[in-house]
Amino acid sequence: MTAVPQDSERPQNTRAIMTFLREHSPFSNMDDSHLAHFAEHASLRFFADGDVVLSPEDGPVRRFYIVKQGRIRGERSRDKDGETQTTFEISQGECFPLAALIGERPTRTLHRASGDTFCLSIEHDTFVKLFSQSDPFRDFCLRGVSSLLDQVNQRIQTGAMASMGSSNSLDTPLERYAIRNPIVCSPDLPVRKAVARMHENNVGSIVITDDGRHPTGIFTLRDLRTMVAEEKGPLDTPIGQVMTRNPCCLTAQADAFEAAMLMAEHHFAHICVVDDEKRLIGMVSERDLFSLQRVDLVNLARTIGTASHLRTLVSLRTDVSRLVDSMLAHGADSGQVVKIITTLNDVTVRRVLELNIKKNDPGIPFTWLTFGSEGRQEQTLLTDQDNGILFETPEGMTEDQVREKLLPFAETVNKELAECGFTLCKGNIMASNPKLCLSGREWDEWFIRFIDASTPQNLVYSSIFLDMRSVFGPREPLEELLDKVLSRIRKNALFQKMLAGNAIQRKPPLTMFRNFRYVEDDGKKHNLDLKRQGLAPFVEAVRVFALANGVGEANTLERMRKLAEKGVFDPKDANAWQEAYSLIQAIRMRAHQEMLERDEPLSNYIDPDDLNPLDRRILRESFRQAQRLQQKLEVTYQL
Amino acid sequence: MLEQIKDWIERLRAGTTGGPDREHLPTPKTAGDQRLSECRLIVLDLETTGLNAAKDEVIAIGAVAIRKNAIVMDDQFDLILRRPELDISETVLIHGIGPEALTRGHETEDALLHLLEWMNGDPILAYHSAFDQKFLEKALKQTLGYTQPHTWIDVAEMLPAFFPDAQTGGHGLDNWADFFGLEVSARHHAAADAMATAELTLAVINKAKKNDVITLKDLNGKLKYYRQLKNMHRHS
Repeated sequence: MTAVPQDSERPQNTRAIMTFLREHSPFSNMDDSHLAHFAEHASLRFFADGDVVLSPEDGPVRRFYIVKQGRIRGERSRDKDGETQTTFEISQGECFPLAALIGERPTRTLHRASGDTFCLSIEHDTFVKLFSQSDPFRDFCLRGVSSLLDQVNQRIQTGAMASMGSSNSLDTPLERYAIRNPIVCSPDLPVRKAVARMHENNVGSIVITDDGRHPTGIFTLRDLRTMVAEEKGPLDTPIGQVMTRNPCCLTAQADAFEAAMLMAEHHFAHICVVDDEKRLIGMVSERDLFSLQRVDLVNLARTIGTASHLRTLVSLRTDVSRLVDSMLAHGADSGQVVKIITTLNDVTVRRVLELNIKKNDPGIPFTWLTFGSEGRQEQTLLTDQDNGILFETPEGMTEDQVREKLLPFAETVNKELAECGFTLCKGNIMASNPKLCLSGREWDEWFIRFIDASTPQNLVYSSIFLDMRSVFGPREPLEELLDKVLSRIRKNALFQKMLAGNAIQRKPPLTMFRNFRYVEDDGKKHNLDLKRQGLAPFVEAVRVFALANGVGEANTLERMRKLAEKGVFDPKDANAWQEAYSLIQAIRMRAHQEMLERDEPLSNYIDPDDLNPLDRRILRESFRQAQRLQQKLEVTYQL
Repeated sequence: MLEQIKDWIERLRAGTTGGPDREHLPTPKTAGDQRLSECRLIVLDLETTGLNAAKDEVIAIGAVAIRKNAIVMDDQFDLILRRPELDISETVLIHGIGPEALTRGHETEDALLHLLEWMNGDPILAYHSAFDQKFLEKALKQTLGYTQPHTWIDVAEMLPAFFPDAQTGGHGLDNWADFFGLEVSARHHAAADAMATAELTLAVINKAKKNDVITLKDLNGKLKYYRQLKNMHRHS
């Protein structure tokens, strides 16, 4: 008989605790070895009815508890009358306190025994060990925390909804907007008849379709005006000859935000809504989208994009700020607002370039590159210029000769952009810098040096040059360059590790005790740098993962989405991180708007004491997510 | 602690050591100014072959330690002694330790030496401690010639002293366990009974603090007072 020797069995009391644990989530899903580790390191405590188990005054929570018997109630005192309120009850088999323990901060709720109560507990080090080794346990603990974030979000959204007084948000799918049955005609219909049809139906546009009801063009009253004013042809011209071809189309599932961005980028006022087979099913106009929000995004983009003088562009910047203000006031998502700002900035940059080419064409094909936050499409109102030029060297010219032509042009552009509110870059990362006005070949060599001979100084620039995008000119040269750069980084584990090491340098501003860690600033107020301390940890960590995994996007949220798609990030984690990043961004932008209102210079510093308690809580939770992301980096690259 | 026991067992198996050093066993501590909420307390339960200390023997020892108001699971003692020669027919139905388990148990001498070392001379608490005290002292004397007196405290006495109004319907461990709603994982298993006794002890320590009974000396005083009170009632 091969009986298991009694001494190698677990002691009776350890087994009994494991049996108890197995009856409750998440322990029911945990491995026996983890349960045994828990049981062997547990302590049992007794609390008589009314005893305080945990109190906010106890300092950071160092212990994880499970109610073995009895009940725990959460108490919060109401500020005014000092009366206490029971906020929750924890009964047998339930765990506490998750958020405070993971956040390594004191509990915010007084935990009191309700009836004679026994609790099992483990100390912080055991908790950390189980947290890192047991997936079910970790999921359970994090879900407990992120559901808190969910609650917070819900409250924000409810608040935004209330102030909008309407359920129309930019996330609404196009199919929910009143899509009128659009007026259509075939391309051979004379313009006169088409306009008559528009008049009868009291609409401003007509869609020209083929036999399969696929939209081939669009004709609007504005087109009619141009046609008449510029005498493009008689009114019996077939409409197919004067229509705008290949109209913008979106499916009904696309949301209003996409439609608005498309309109803003191409200065269209109408978008065709099509089904999966590209057949026309409806029409969305600018007015449909913004009638409720009165956000004049499209019109503003159009005005910027057609401005004929720098003066106009400069004056339009205040409108951009006003637009952002109204969008934020209407509860628009910070990601959307940032994209809108970026779009409007792009339109401005393009117009400045176009006006300069019109005035003084250097005659060299080039792509205007933007780096850093502009490259990531993460600009707010406070923005630096970070740009460069990627040119094609025409036959018979040397690269230096090309530069001779391009640099004076670039200098004017940089100067004019500064007048439009894009501050000149202190580090001279601008197209007028001969080191950043390069041919495709030169840029490639530049990146080889950057990646293969990386030095700590180089790495400082990674946040700028590894996030790039083309704003003007042909995109293909940049795509070619990006392909090479990405494959080089993927192959270079050392560079990745250095990037990762660099990315964890900037720690989220939380102290060990989960209070905010403030920036020293001549003993002034309590300052937090939302950009460098709050957003940068996300941006930098995500960049490393993106570059290491061949994600070409520069936008941080997009990168996170792609990384989740590729299975690099757990979808739940990716969600939490996107959320946290957006929330910090939202708080930062709101602060900017308030500074503008007070006529103060924009800065990224805020004093958390100025925030309402909800926002403070959001900030703390968001910073905590940044710490988690950095931890993932540390684990991945064994830092 | 478990690790230490495992190590010790390994060493025993390998035959490299005779167990703890008999010459340097810890000295038992007396009940003085140690604070109840700070000092280490041993809560012990024995399973025996019967109720008569004169002829019956210890067959299993279960004990847990209380430190800082908590029962710490990595500081416990749970052993069956190797005594194949003993007649356990009378009690096997109660504690469930059969002849086979006894042959697989530990050498009594080693087990007791190890127990002494593990207890570290700390005060021993037990339910109806007089019973456990008699059996343990006898076993220690017979096996090791060890006669140093430990400090013993009776949990069965402490409970009514601190909860005089409790309607328990009886004086047994089960009555008090029911009163506090405890679930005893395996009644009449030495370690499980020790655990239940320790849980009741936690409730006592909690109450003691609220009654300004802070040190072991205070506790002894309170128990003495309670005994006098009981005697007065008996004689009046």
